[in-house]
Amino acid sequence: MNNLNQKIDPQQWAPAKVDAGEAEFIAAPSLTFWQDVRSRLWQNRPAMFSLAFIILLVAAAIFGPMISRHTYFDQDLKLSNIPPILQLYEVQNEGQAATYFFLNSGNFKLYETTEDGELKSILRAKRKDLINKRHIYEFGERRIFVDYSTLPARIVDADENAIDAYGTKWNKTYWFGTDSLGRDVLVRQLYGARISLTVAFIATLVNFFIGIFYGGVAGYFGGNVDNIMMRIVEVIATIPLTLYVILMMVVLQSGFISIIVAIGTVFWVDMARIVRGQMLTLKNQDYVDAAKTMGASTWHILTRHLLPNSIGPILVTLTLLIPSAIFIESFMSFIGLGVSVPMASWGTLTSEAVETLRSYPYQLFFPAAAISLTMFAFNFLGDGLRDALDPRLRK
Amino acid sequence: MLAYFAKRIGMMVVTLFLIITLTFFLMHAIPGGPFTSEKMLAPEIEEALNAKYGLNDPLWVQYLNYLKGIITLDLGPSFKYPGIRVNDLILDGLPVTAKTGFLALLCVAALGIPLGILAALNQNKWQDTAVMMLATVGVAIPSYVVATVALYIFALQLNLVPTFGLDDWRGYILPVAALSGFWLSFIARLSRSSLLEVLGQDYIVTAKAKGLHPLSILFKHGLRNALIPIVTVLGPVVANLLTGSFVIEQIFALPGIGRHFVLSISNRDYTTIMGITIFYAAFLMVMILIVDILYMLLDPRIKLADRNK
Amino acid sequence: MTQSPLLKVRDLTTSFFTSRGEVQAVRGVDFDIHAGEVLGIVGESGSGKSITCMSVLRLLKNNGRTIKGTAHFEGRDLLELSELEMRRLRGNDVAMIFQDPMTSLNPTLTVGEQIIETIIAHKNISRSAARERVVELFELVKIPEAASRLGAYPHEFSGGMRQRVMIAMALSCDPKLLIADEPTTALDVTIQRQILLLLKEIQSRLGMAIILITHDLGVIAEVTDRILVMYGGTAMETANVHHLFDKPMHPYTQGLLASVPNVNNIDGEKLKPIPGSPPDMLRPPKGCPFMPRCDKAMEICVTTGAPEFEIDDAQSHKSRCWLHHPDAPQQKGDAA
Ligand SMILES: Nc1ncnc2c1ncn2[C@@H]1O[C@H](COP(=O)(O)OP(=O)(O)O)[C@@H](O)[C@H]1O
Ligand SMILES: [Mg+2]
Repeated sequence: MNNLNQKIDPQQWAPAKVDAGEAEFIAAPSLTFWQDVRSRLWQNRPAMFSLAFIILLVAAAIFGPMISRHTYFDQDLKLSNIPPILQLYEVQNEGQAATYFFLNSGNFKLYETTEDGELKSILRAKRKDLINKRHIYEFGERRIFVDYSTLPARIVDADENAIDAYGTKWNKTYWFGTDSLGRDVLVRQLYGARISLTVAFIATLVNFFIGIFYGGVAGYFGGNVDNIMMRIVEVIATIPLTLYVILMMVVLQSGFISIIVAIGTVFWVDMARIVRGQMLTLKNQDYVDAAKTMGASTWHILTRHLLPNSIGPILVTLTLLIPSAIFIESFMSFIGLGVSVPMASWGTLTSEAVETLRSYPYQLFFPAAAISLTMFAFNFLGDGLRDALDPRLRK
Repeated sequence: MLAYFAKRIGMMVVTLFLIITLTFFLMHAIPGGPFTSEKMLAPEIEEALNAKYGLNDPLWVQYLNYLKGIITLDLGPSFKYPGIRVNDLILDGLPVTAKTGFLALLCVAALGIPLGILAALNQNKWQDTAVMMLATVGVAIPSYVVATVALYIFALQLNLVPTFGLDDWRGYILPVAALSGFWLSFIARLSRSSLLEVLGQDYIVTAKAKGLHPLSILFKHGLRNALIPIVTVLGPVVANLLTGSFVIEQIFALPGIGRHFVLSISNRDYTTIMGITIFYAAFLMVMILIVDILYMLLDPRIKLADRNK
Repeated sequence: MTQSPLLKVRDLTTSFFTSRGEVQAVRGVDFDIHAGEVLGIVGESGSGKSITCMSVLRLLKNNGRTIKGTAHFEGRDLLELSELEMRRLRGNDVAMIFQDPMTSLNPTLTVGEQIIETIIAHKNISRSAARERVVELFELVKIPEAASRLGAYPHEFSGGMRQRVMIAMALSCDPKLLIADEPTTALDVTIQRQILLLLKEIQSRLGMAIILITHDLGVIAEVTDRILVMYGGTAMETANVHHLFDKPMHPYTQGLLASVPNVNNIDGEKLKPIPGSPPDMLRPPKGCPFMPRCDKAMEICVTTGAPEFEIDDAQSHKSRCWLHHPDAPQQKGDAA
C-alpha cells in the first residue's frame, strides 16, 4: 500500500470527461448473429475448401458434359478399357515419320497414337499366334510381336529383344480413359455427378418440405395433434430406411424419378423432429406472443417469426442430409436398384468398375474418389456450419 | 416396470403388423404377377403356378393367409427356387450374417467408444486430431468403396487375405472392417462429443469439488452419463450393420442373408424380398427393445417418466 | 483479529483464454476469512464472484488459468499444492455448494450414493457407517423421511430439497470452510430465505466458516458477518455487514444498495438502478472498472485503478476508490 499517500497531480482530481471515459471503453465490435456466423465459417478452412469444391463440382457437372467432345452413351468397343496414362512405344520406318502406339496390357491390343498421346486408331494384327501367345504386327518393313506368354505382356522385335517403352503420356483423347464399352470415363463421371447431385438435391428438398411441414404443424398446434403425429414418427423411425428405399425401388422399378421419390420420402423424420422441437421452444417466447396480440395470422407467425429463428439447426440438418442422399443413391445403384442404363451415377460407375477390378483396377479410382471427396466436402461443410451456428461447441 | 414392457411390446407388435401389411400390399402393387416376367412360361403353366401359390384368390384372402403363415413363423415359398421356402433361405444365410454382424458390432463398440474417449480426454491435442481425422474419413467414404478398394489392395495386390469366403479367420478381416468402418467412426465421434458434453456439466464440477479420484469422476460420473446417447443409437447401428451387409456380402461373395436378399431383388423373387424384409424388421424391433432396456438401466429418469404415466 | 485467517487470498488474478481473446475474470482480489466467520460476496453478475472461488479451489474450466496470486488456507498456499493434496482438501476441508441444484447433482446416481462416495473418498469408514452418516446429514438439513430418501434420484426431489441434498453433501466431511455460490438463486422466492436461514443455523451449530455468494441483499445482513463487494473482477469494498449497510463508502456499493430492496430501503424508498452495464472483461477499463458508470469519476480514475484505502480498522472496512485519498475533493462530506 505504498501509493496510498503518494502525491497526485492536482489536475487528476478534476471530474472525468465523459467522452474520455467512453473512448477508454470501446467494446469489441459487436456483430450481428449472421455476420458472426459468416466470419466464423470463413475462418474454418476445411469448410471453406469444401464449399469451393462443391461449387466447382456443381459447375463441372453442369457444364462438363456440354463442352466435352464425347457423350456419356457413345460406345466404341474397339476403344474399350483404355487407361488414362499411356505407355508409348515408337517404331521407326525408313523415309517415313515414326509411328507411335501403346499396348493395352489388359487385352493385349495395340493402338496407334500421336507422339504426345492423342489416340488415333486400333492397329490390326497381321496374325494372331494363339498357341505361342503372341500377336504379330507389321509397320512397313518392320515386324514386332506382342508376347503375352509371360505376364505382363511385352513387346519384342524379330530378334526376340524386348523393345523399351518410348515414354508415358497422359491420354489426350480420353483424359480418364474409357470403360469396358469404350465410353469416355471423364464425361461419364461428370454425367454421374450430375445424376447423383440432382437426385441428392431434389430428394433433400422434398425431405425438407415434408419435414418442415410435418414438424411445423405438430409443433405449432401441440397437444393431441402433436402427440399423434409424433407417435407416427416414432413408428416410422423404427423402420430401417435403407429397407424402405429398397422396397420402394422394387415397387417403382428402377429409374431416375423412382429413386428421387424413394429417397425423398424417407429422411424427413429428423427434420420434422428438429422443426417441432424448435417450434415448441420458440412458440412460448415473448415476441411470438407479441405478434399474436397484434393480430398476426398463424401463417404469418410461422413464416416471419418461427422459421427464421429455427433456420440454424435446419440448415445444418439439411447440409448433412445431402451426403446421406448421395450415399443412399449410390448404394442403391451399386446393388442394381438405382438409375437405369445407359444413365450413369457414381454408384453404377463404381459397380461397373468392380466388375473389371482385376484387369482394370484404375477404373475404380475415379468414381470412388469422386464420391468420397464429395461426401467429405458435405460433411465438412455441415460440421463447419454447425460449429459456426453454435459457438458453444467451439473451443 | 411390467406395464412399461407390456406397452413396449404392444407397440412393437403393432409396428410390425403395420410393416407386414405395408410390405405385403406394396409387393402386390407391382404390375403383373410374379411369373409374368418369365419369358418362357406358357400361359397354362403360369395359370397352374398361380393356382398352386394361391395367387388367383382375392387379395385379402392372400393377405390373411400370409398373416396366418407369419403367426406360425412361416414366410411362405420362394417363387424363384422351386421347393425352397423363404425360411430356408434365411436359416441358410443366418450364421454368416450373424457372425460378421456380431463381429462388426463388437468392433464398433470396442474400438469406437475407446477412441472417442481418447479423443475427448486429449481434446485439441494430436490424439484428438488423429482420431477425428480417421473418423471423418470413415464417415465420409461409403462402405462399398472401402470394401472394393480394400479388396483390391489387400486381397488382389498384396495377397494378405482371401478375396472371398470365410474359410479361415483372415477372411473375416475385410468384410468386418468394411462393415464396421462407418459406424465405428460415427460412434467414435459421438462418444467424443458426448463425453465432452458430460465433462462440461455442472455435476462434474461438483464431483471434482467433492475431491473424488479422477478415475472415479471419469467412469462413474462421466462415462456412465456419456454412454446414454451412445446406447440410444445402438439400435440404428444394428439396423445399419444389417443393411450394410447387403453390399458387403455381395462384394466379398459371402453366403449370408444379405446376399440372398440382393439376389432376390434382381430375380424379382417377391416372396423372398417380402419375407426377408419382415425378418429384418422383426429382428430390429427386438434389438430396439433391448436397447430400450439398456437405456432404462442407465438412465433412472426414464423409469420415473413412465411410472408416472 | 489476532489469529491468522483461515483463508487468506492475495492478488488473485484469473483469466480465460478464449477464441476472442483473454477474458480477465478476476483481477487482483484480496480478502481474508477467519474461522467461524460468514463472509458474503456480492456484486452484479459477471463481476467475478464465482471465478474467485473456483480459482481458490482450482476448479476452473480448461481454458481458465490463475495467473498470479496466493490463497493460503491454514497456512498452505492452495495454488501451490499438488493435485493429490488438493484432492484431499476438496470436499473435506473446503466444500462447495453450487448455484443450480438441478444440474449440480448427477442425474443418474442416487443422492445417497453421491454423498456416500464423498464420505468414503475422505474418511476411512465403511459404507454402512457412511450410510448412517448420510441419514444424520439429511436430518440435519431437514429432509423429511431422511432414511427412505437415500435411494431416490435427484429428479425425484423439488428444487429446494435438492439444494438441501447439496448442503448435506457439502457438510458430509465436516469442512472448515464452506463456499456457497448463490445457493438460492435458482430456487423459488419462498424457499430462498429458508435455505439461507438453514445455512446460518447449521453454521452456528457446527461453527465452520462460510463464503456466501449472493444476490439477495435482503437476507445477507441476517446471515453474514462481513461483506465483500466485487465489481469487474476486483474487490471494491469490504466491511462488517451492518457497518457496510450503514456507511457504504464506495460509489459502486452505494449504487448497489440503492438499486436493490434491502434492509436500508425496505420502506418503499425509490429504487435507483445503476445506469450502464458492467464492463466487458475482454477489454476491461484501464483504470477503475466502475469509472464509466460512476457519477463521481475523476481524471485519475480513467488511468489508474485505486489502491485499497483503510476506512475503519475496527469494522475491517476497506474500499478501493480515489475519493478516499486525502487530497481528493470532498464529496458532500461523506468521504473519509
Ligand atoms: N469458461 C469461461 N470462459 C470465458 N469466460 C468466462 C468463463 N467463465 C466465466 N467467464 C467470465 O468471467 C467473468 C466472471 O464470471 P463469474 O465469476 O462467473 O461472475 P459472477 O460474479 O456472476 O459469478 C465473466 O465476465 C464471465 O464472462
Ligand atoms: Mg456466479
